[in-house]
Amino acid sequence: MRRTTLVNALAAGMAAALALTACGGGGGPAGDSGEVVFWDTSGPNESPVFGAIAQECAARGGYRVRTEVVAFDQALNNYKTAAQGGQGPDVLRAEVAWVPQLAKLGYLVDLTGTEPGRDTGDFLATPLGSTRYQDKSYGVPQVTDSLALFYNRKLLADAGVEPPRTWDEVKAAAVRLGGEKTFFLNNDAYYALPFIYGAGGDLVDASAKKIVVNSPENVRALRTAKGLLDAKAATTALDPANSYHNMQAAFSAGEVAMVVNGPWSVADYLKGPAFADPANLGIAPVPGEEAGKGSAPVGGHDYVVRQGTRAKESSIRFVSCMSSTASQVRVAKELGLPPTRKSAYADPGVQANAIVSAFQPVVTAAHARPWIPEGGQLFDPLKIAYADVLAGAKDAEAALDEVAKAYQDQVVTDYRIG
Amino acid sequence: MRRFLDRHWYAYAMVLPVVVVIAALVLYPLAQGVFFTFTDINEGNIANPVLDRAATYTGVGLTNYLNVLSGDPSFGSFWSTLVRTLVWTFGCVLGHYAIGLGLALLLNRPVRGRAAYRVLLILPWAVPAFISAFAWKYMFNAQYGIINQALRAVGLPDPVWLGQSDWALVAVVVVNVWLGVPFMMVALLGGLQAIPGDLYEAAEVDGASPWQRFRHVTLPGLRSVSGTVVLLGTIWTFNMFAVIYLITGPNPNTRILVTYAFERFFSGASRDYAIASTYGVLILSVLLVFAGVYRRALRRQGEVW
Repeated sequence: MRRTTLVNALAAGMAAALALTACGGGGGPAGDSGEVVFWDTSGPNESPVFGAIAQECAARGGYRVRTEVVAFDQALNNYKTAAQGGQGPDVLRAEVAWVPQLAKLGYLVDLTGTEPGRDTGDFLATPLGSTRYQDKSYGVPQVTDSLALFYNRKLLADAGVEPPRTWDEVKAAAVRLGGEKTFFLNNDAYYALPFIYGAGGDLVDASAKKIVVNSPENVRALRTAKGLLDAKAATTALDPANSYHNMQAAFSAGEVAMVVNGPWSVADYLKGPAFADPANLGIAPVPGEEAGKGSAPVGGHDYVVRQGTRAKESSIRFVSCMSSTASQVRVAKELGLPPTRKSAYADPGVQANAIVSAFQPVVTAAHARPWIPEGGQLFDPLKIAYADVLAGAKDAEAALDEVAKAYQDQVVTDYRIG
Repeated sequence: MRRFLDRHWYAYAMVLPVVVVIAALVLYPLAQGVFFTFTDINEGNIANPVLDRAATYTGVGLTNYLNVLSGDPSFGSFWSTLVRTLVWTFGCVLGHYAIGLGLALLLNRPVRGRAAYRVLLILPWAVPAFISAFAWKYMFNAQYGIINQALRAVGLPDPVWLGQSDWALVAVVVVNVWLGVPFMMVALLGGLQAIPGDLYEAAEVDGASPWQRFRHVTLPGLRSVSGTVVLLGTIWTFNMFAVIYLITGPNPNTRILVTYAFERFFSGASRDYAIASTYGVLILSVLLVFAGVYRRALRRQGEVW
């Protein structure tokens, strides 16, 4: 165990590599340390903007904010470890699936009676749902997102292909787009969801307490994905550790014509030679089994306040300020991340942002995920199964049966497989 | 008894601090870990003074052991994971020892620039493990990595190294051998230099060939060093977490006992402390059995260790 603790401590230390400290301002409200430590998980493309807004909020609100940029894939673990010992940030930017989990474990401040907890009328219903656990409010939606089909307009136009609306059309387009160069399939679990939802499947049925991950629809969905590879209509990095990176590299270099990804990836793409002209980046809803029936998961992030914080008042004011319409408008305009407030979409500057306006219909139609504490834990077993299926190591049915069993043994032990 | 204490109180007083420190630093955490294996403890029911929450985990008897030892895939396929751990350990230690010995023999003779070679050969050891891991991960990238580009250039098949097949295990063994060779080399070099030169001279006078000299002078001379470093290497490799986890993540084809324990403890579906502790106790048991057998084998060869 000693070695693992060491590695974790190391990760936490590295995560805090960039820390922007602001001085000045008052001491904050009474009984409050007046300093808010904010863990920003947004990554190097986005964090400068969030950091700048945080400093402005601090200057206006009369408290100090220290933004620490932490790696997204380490953040949940580090937060849990820290919160369990009464340490950690005062405010965390939490992925939507983490919120019910952290709330159940008692790591979050109940915001129900506070100002951000009451001010909910302006928020979109689906992202707002992620902040609720047992009829209480534990967070404030920061941004929402979903997956869409990104395509290289020039490559599609040269081949005379329209953005595909079904997976069969992707296969058909491959004839003209150069086979495997048509589409890059990321073999991570989250990227299996468009196939699963598009086929009418789901992972669990939370209301009926049923595990449905091995349903016939899902088996068909994974076979569809594998079928794209078998038909040489798509390529994938079969090494899961490199998959996302290779997808980003291949698409931004113009080596593949289409990928499925979320709005956070746009900044990566625009750095690539294929999108020196940003207008070349096309965005369309994800393909489905039938045209118009594509469906992608709702994603996004919420602000949450840590239980045990010594700056509770300042943290709540900070969260209010960060999620205000003005802040959301600025994030949407500068980063192209879809806001969670309805009023933010009314802003002409937001409307004019090509990425936000392309994602608005996608986000509105996004497939809700079950907001259960275990929601974020459903991906680990699925990730291995999906990679196995795409690599041809296992058949979809056998792999998904194993996932269902793992869900029952480890994740949602009170659910039935059915 | 009274007289015994009167006479020996001094010795007991001297030993007491060591006993207390060992009990506090070693035995108590170990006992707690063993205790956890008989409960259903996880992050949801552990006591937390910060959050003002009392512990609510309960004893479950041998359930954890039964679940793990049944070899169920939901609990890490214990037996096949154990076999993979043994393959990994012996593959790595064999590589370490063979290459380390070869390099030590090369360095043990007067060559020009010997100091420079030594520094270069020890370098992998000096690089932090996670940096080596990321560098190798990139070299093994199936599309862009230099290894596959080289293989493609000479017309060889280019496997997906870090994918869902046993190639992933080969890849991590290669990295771990690269990382572990310097230690073996330095230790064996020390051992070689401790062998008296007149033994070689005497062997040469008797007309022994180089192979015979290696076989009958070098190897016996290295026996005590080898015995120790192989035992150490085996224990380290058996529990080598960083290389596997940083390069392949939670890939079932490279899963060894300790990485699975970590998955259950930190990164997996739930922070299942009970199952992770069960794995910890089983790992400890396997290593204790190994160390016992190994020691007996050494003793039979006349080593006092």
